[in-house]
This record gives sequence, structure tokens and C-alpha cells, in this order.
Amino acid sequence: MKNTKKTCLKGILLLLGTIAFYFVVRRVCTSLYTMMVVNIALIYTLIAYSVSVMLGMGGELSFAGITFMGGGAFLVANLTTSRLGLQLPPIAAFLLTIPFFAIIGFVVGLILLRLKSTFFTFSTIALVQMSYTIYNNYKPLFGGPDGIAGIPTTTLFGLKMMDYYDWFPWLLGFAVLIGLFINRIRTTPMGRSLASCRDNETAARVLGVNVYMTKVLAFTIAAVLSAMAGGLYALQTKFVSADMFTYASSTKYIIMAMIGGVQSTIGAFIGALIVQVLPQLLKSFEGYLQLFWGVSIVLLMVFMPEGIAGIFRATVRRMKNKKKKTAVEGGVPDGGK
Amino acid sequence: MAENSRQPVLRLDSICKSFGGVVTAKDVSFSVYPGEIKGLIGPNGAGKTTMMNMISGIYTADSGEIFFEGKNITKTPDYARARMGIGRTFQTPRFLQRSSIRDNLLIGADLGNRIGFLQGFLGKSSTNFQSELDEMMEILHFRFDWDDDINSLPFGQRKLLEIVRSLLSHPKVILVDEPAAGLNNKEIEYLMEILRMAAKKRNVGVLLIEHSMDMIMDICESIVVLCFGVPIAQGTPAEIATNPAVIEAYLGREDDD
Repeated sequence: MKNTKKTCLKGILLLLGTIAFYFVVRRVCTSLYTMMVVNIALIYTLIAYSVSVMLGMGGELSFAGITFMGGGAFLVANLTTSRLGLQLPPIAAFLLTIPFFAIIGFVVGLILLRLKSTFFTFSTIALVQMSYTIYNNYKPLFGGPDGIAGIPTTTLFGLKMMDYYDWFPWLLGFAVLIGLFINRIRTTPMGRSLASCRDNETAARVLGVNVYMTKVLAFTIAAVLSAMAGGLYALQTKFVSADMFTYASSTKYIIMAMIGGVQSTIGAFIGALIVQVLPQLLKSFEGYLQLFWGVSIVLLMVFMPEGIAGIFRATVRRMKNKKKKTAVEGGVPDGGK
Repeated sequence: MAENSRQPVLRLDSICKSFGGVVTAKDVSFSVYPGEIKGLIGPNGAGKTTMMNMISGIYTADSGEIFFEGKNITKTPDYARARMGIGRTFQTPRFLQRSSIRDNLLIGADLGNRIGFLQGFLGKSSTNFQSELDEMMEILHFRFDWDDDINSLPFGQRKLLEIVRSLLSHPKVILVDEPAAGLNNKEIEYLMEILRMAAKKRNVGVLLIEHSMDMIMDICESIVVLCFGVPIAQGTPAEIATNPAVIEAYLGREDDD
């Protein structure tokens, strides 16, 4: 009973937080440009979630997200501009990315996850390089260096998504919804199985976890999340080109997840906001930005491997322990001895 | 206790295994019956843990066959064996890091539920995690904050919790590797109690590796002795204690040290 109450309270807090965030951002973002920065951060949040699933829960670092993001973006672009001979409504094209990339992600996962840890990571880097080359050179499907323009304006429940202001509440809601989904995975058998693969593969196996298939499933989920992000990006900016989907940009969302904390869902969101918004605030230091990310990642790994969310959690735990100690008041904590 | 008319839950049939030139199992055959506590003892390096690894499927045997409830599982992958009901604990406990005690124990319950990820995602469960846990906690005399980090517990308690995790998965046979090492006397008492509970109340077959002879003699109904992979004796504790081959193996080992 206590648990349902707690969940209720958390739900209300989340709702209030989301609404507060909405109004604060609407007040702060007075130009179309700043709104775009926040919207792109929300889209990137989806890929940061995928890192949270693969790296945080499964312990496998994958760069492949950007490949699937590109795939999702180009799929939506092709289906909505009648380049392939048929023109779907934008939302239908977006929804099609889910089954399409579930299948592709599953097959690619089956192949790449035959490799272990570092070798797997390298294979995903190879995948990113290959996909970039293909996106950039194969004109019939990806438009080559020119990209694909002219994606029609999206209509959602009769509302036309004219500019970034219109998109913002939908993207925010979507990011929160997917966040809840990821959080649910974390606290149910799938998340625990993944975590056991990460921490001790032998123990996972004797606890009945099919390590290989569990990781493939995680990879599939990550692929779908990334593809959805790509689809949303295409619909929002109405233009897609290959130079969005390079290896360099794939490092960006890994930095996001790491700064926010790979073990935490909300961390992915915070990280995405920081990495997107900070460069705008520090425009004059742009040349030093890469250096800044590099140094901050090193410091992060040494001093707070669980990112910002990790610090928050550690503080809460410390406060709780202090409370417990004062409650025991000099009595020996009973450990069954 | 172990009448021959009953079907063994686990049966090993002339298992052989060697790593290069080192023979760790040679023609090992024995059975574990439901509700029986069987000791697997031998000097260091006798191949006891290797034997467990072969039963749980982490290693494959070079030759010989393993039967679980009459079914040949020699080629079954490890996770499938765990799902059939072969539980396992390790010499050094293997837990999820950075996770709470509750999450760690829930992994055992997940296996016990025997439902897929999807149903788990929807919040279904076929076992009563909390009442089972309470029952075992009473035996172990533990009182925890379940949200504490697993690593805040001392080694001995973590070892006992690994047995709890395994029992939560409702195994039909549980392989317990040196549970008493690192435990104090009180904890060993609780350990024996929970193993007895598993065997007698839940009819789980227990295969126990242990170096503490007091405990083995006290708790086991029958014992297998391995020495350099060769099964040199099988029988009741009383028979084993007076077996000349066993005494030689153990005393001969002392000379080497």
C-alpha cells in the first residue's frame, strides 16, 4: 500500500515538474532559435535514453545510435516526399519507423553482439562510418550531399505544426512518456536481467538469463529509440542531410548520457539539455568546446562516474543514512550476529 | 533417506573433463535426490567447483552425460538449465553492483516467476516475493533496509543472501559452493538451518561443497569424495569418516603443504 502511495506521489511530482519546465522554457525562449535548441535537445534525449539502456543497464557502449537516427530520418524523409513513389502522412511515416527499425536493429544486433565489449564498441564505430558514407553518397535514397528537403508540415490531431513553438509541448510530452517507458524497463525483469549481464555474466547465466538475446533485445530497443529521434528530427526541421549523422555527432549523445548519468533516466534528459544549451551560452568560447567536453568527461569518470544524477542520488543516500544513525542512537545496528 | 525407488533430480553418468593435461573429472557418477543434502568434498584442486560448473552448464563435459529429472541436459545451454530448476551459488558472492538488496533478490524471483520480459513489464508475477522472503529472513535472523546498497553488507551476509536469491527462484536442485567460508559460528548455524529448510520443507536437492568437516558431517546424508578428479569414495558420513582411501587423500595432502 505504501508503494502505491509513493508511485502516486512520484507521478504527481513528475507531472508538476513537466508543467513547470514547460512554462519556464516558454518564458525563457523568446526567439525561434532558442526554441529550436531546446527542441533538438528533447530529440537528442531519446538517443541519450538509448545509451542509458545499452551502457547503463547492459554495460555495452554502442555508437550505433546515430546510424539508426539517420536511418529513421531518411526513412521519414523518403516516405513523406514521394521520392519512392508513395507519399504518406508525416505521422504515419513516423510510426512506420518503429517496426522497420525494430527489425533492422534486431538483425544488426544479432550480428554485432557476437563480439564482446570493446570489440563490439569498435564494430559500432565501423557501422557509423559505413552508414555515413552510404548516406552521403547514395543519391537515390539519401539525396547525397544535398540531402532531402521539402518534407511537408506535420498535422497532429488537426493541429498544424507550423514552427518550433508548436512542436515543443509534443516533444516534451513524448520525451517524458518514453522516459517512463525506460524507467519501467529498469525496474522490471528486463532491466534486472540486463544489469546482471553487465555486472557478472556468469551469475546472470546461472540465474537463467540468456545474455546474448537480452543484449540483442536491448540493442533493438536502442535502435528504435534512435530511429524515432531521427524521424522526429526530419519532421521538425523538414530537411535531412548526411552530415548530421557523422561519428563526431555520435560522440555527442554519449557525452550527454555520461554527464547526466548513465544509470538514470532523468539524467539522460539533463545531460541532453546541458550539452545542447551550454554551447549557446558560451558562444564566444566555441573553439574550446571540444576541449571542455573532453576534460569534463575525464573528470566525470574519475570523480563522479554516475554523472549528475549519481551525485544527487549519493547525497540522498547520505542524508538517509544520517537519519538512520540518529534514530539508532548509539545502539548497535543489528546485523544478525 | 534417498530410496532407490525414487527418481533422482540430478544424475551424473561417468563425467570426464580435462583442461589440457590436467584431469579435473574422471568417470564421476553420482545422483542427488529431491530433499537430500549431498556433500561433495575433496582436497583443494580436486575438481569440486569444476563439477558444479559442468552441472550448471558453464563448462561442458568432455564425455559422459548429465540427467535432470530423467532428461538428458548434457547439451542444454546454461541459462536454460537455470530455468529448468538448477540453482547455484558461488564461492565469492556475485551480485549486481550499484544496486539495492531488493533488486538483487528480485533477480532470483524473476527466474522463479518464469515469465517473459513482456509480462514482467506489465507487472505480472506468479510468486509471492515478500512472504517467501519474510520466511527466509526469519531463519537467517536478518533485518535490512531493503533499499540499501548490496555492498554495504558484510561478506558473510552477502553469502547467505546469495542462497536466498537462489531459493527465491524455486530451484529443484541447488548447488552450493563453500557457503561457510568467511561466516562466523552463528551465521553457519543459520546457514545449516536454511539448507535444511530448503531440503526438508521444499524438497530441493542440495549439492554442497564445503571444507568445514563439522558442517558436512552434521548436515549431509551422503557424501562423494573427489581426489584429483577421481571419485574415491561415496557413502554416508559415518562410512566416509572411516574410509581409508579418504583418510589417505586428506593426510597425503597435508604432507604436500
